Amino acid sequence: MSRVKRFFRTYTPFTRAGMQEMVAYRANFLCFLIGEIMASFIMYFVWKAVFDSSGSETFMGFTMEDMVVYLFITFLAGYLTYSDGAFTVGEEIIDGSIAMRMIRPCSFEMCFLFQELGNRIISVSMIFVPIVAGVEIYRYVQAGEVRFQPIYFLLFLLSLVFAYMISFYFNVCYGFMAFFFKNLWGTTLIKETVVNFLSGAIVPLAFLPAGLANVLNFLPFASLSYTPVMIYMGMYSYSEIAWRMGLQIFWLLVMYGLSKLIWRSAVRHLSVQGG
Amino acid sequence: MMRYIRLHRIFIAQYLKRLMEYKVDFMLGAIGLLIAQGMQLIFLGIIFSAIPALKGWQFEEVLFIYGFSLVPKTIDHLFTDNLWMVGYRIIRKGEFDKYLTRPINTLYHVIAENFCVDAFGELLTCILLLAYSIPKLSIPFHWYTIPLFLIVSIFATLIYTSLKIMTSAISFWTKASGHITHMLYMTNDFGKYPVTIYNKAVQALITYVIPFAFTAYFPATYFLTGKNPLFCLGGTVIAGTVLFLLAIFVWNRGLRAYESAGS
Repeated sequence: MSRVKRFFRTYTPFTRAGMQEMVAYRANFLCFLIGEIMASFIMYFVWKAVFDSSGSETFMGFTMEDMVVYLFITFLAGYLTYSDGAFTVGEEIIDGSIAMRMIRPCSFEMCFLFQELGNRIISVSMIFVPIVAGVEIYRYVQAGEVRFQPIYFLLFLLSLVFAYMISFYFNVCYGFMAFFFKNLWGTTLIKETVVNFLSGAIVPLAFLPAGLANVLNFLPFASLSYTPVMIYMGMYSYSEIAWRMGLQIFWLLVMYGLSKLIWRSAVRHLSVQGG
Repeated sequence: MMRYIRLHRIFIAQYLKRLMEYKVDFMLGAIGLLIAQGMQLIFLGIIFSAIPALKGWQFEEVLFIYGFSLVPKTIDHLFTDNLWMVGYRIIRKGEFDKYLTRPINTLYHVIAENFCVDAFGELLTCILLLAYSIPKLSIPFHWYTIPLFLIVSIFATLIYTSLKIMTSAISFWTKASGHITHMLYMTNDFGKYPVTIYNKAVQALITYVIPFAFTAYFPATYFLTGKNPLFCLGGTVIAGTVLFLLAIFVWNRGLRAYESAGS
């Protein structure tokens, strides 16, 4: 028990720092957010035109209502599970300041994790409610009945937590890889567009050719946003949800193990160079 | 004027030397933009595999407008990318003082300092799109089509650049404005698609307020149909000119308000 207590006593200051940082830059954050959500609105109009032109109520199994939920909840999930806290690891390895982290009596990735959690608490409180409320009001107006399902919503939240943790460890791995690439802007752009596509953020995986969609459904990227969003939309049965979440946990363990592995070899590499 | 052209040659030569040192960086940036554009095109491809036309627009026409939208975007990206840094870093870190001590125009100097070759990824997409779509469309072709295209591209680029100058100049007062530039810049994606798919409010916004519709849709429809040259091309020229004059004005006012942040 005391170990748990000590753990939280060690890391909650990082959360507080993350929160303070976010509050200090909240105006920047809001501008950034408005810019980002613009893309979802463009997609909304494009899909609306698609539905108007196709002349049928559904497009590959999605109604327009589903599409709106998909677009905005994907935006939300993508935003909430986005993780770049560990990105600085790469930079710190290059300039050697990682040594300072290593002599501190706390785990380096936990520092990042708790700091980012502080960040997320503030940003979630600013955007989560408006987006979910907006989507649900839209659904209510369109369908004339309340479509919000508390059980799916809770499962969605749980799935989102897994998604965030996968994203976190995936980006820890990426942060270490950044060590090898100098153009962080270029590689990050490549990583983000590819992840975006593979996670179904650009086109729902269900719209892709069946073979490709099946493969992508297994990859860790689908766990990042597609799985939670599908759960929110009520597209999965309970047994399917259990199986998808199992897959999420599997990928979480893989990413965790991978980050540890890379970390260990990076440390060894450092000790060779250091002196 | 001649002096600035000569200077620009020197700046670019200098930049290319730096570039040769970091070939991989350049490749990665360009590949990243190429992939980003490619993903969007896959999206369009999937849509058009299921419907014949988007609100009356054929696949090739949509690709042409999309490709056209990349022309000013690429030129702007290639030459004036450093403006982003004004809002994000240069003023906040007090680096702007450097530009004030030089005997050349500050705005010109900021812009000329960087030459963003990453834009070649977009350029390649743009060329591929236009090369693919133009032969499949019956575009009315006259002797003046190409000169008009070049002229209108310049003014469309001015729309982009001017909006970037204005939003960057805000940081003269606020020290940082990169996020405002980002917010405005993201609306440019509205211009990639035929504006008839948007509702009236959005159409009015991107035609008269933030005139991104004039960077692609209106000029592109003129080239597609040959109709309405006065509004489609004239609008681009007017929007570009007015915004540019406004941008110069805001920049100069900003310079007067500027206080160094450095220590």
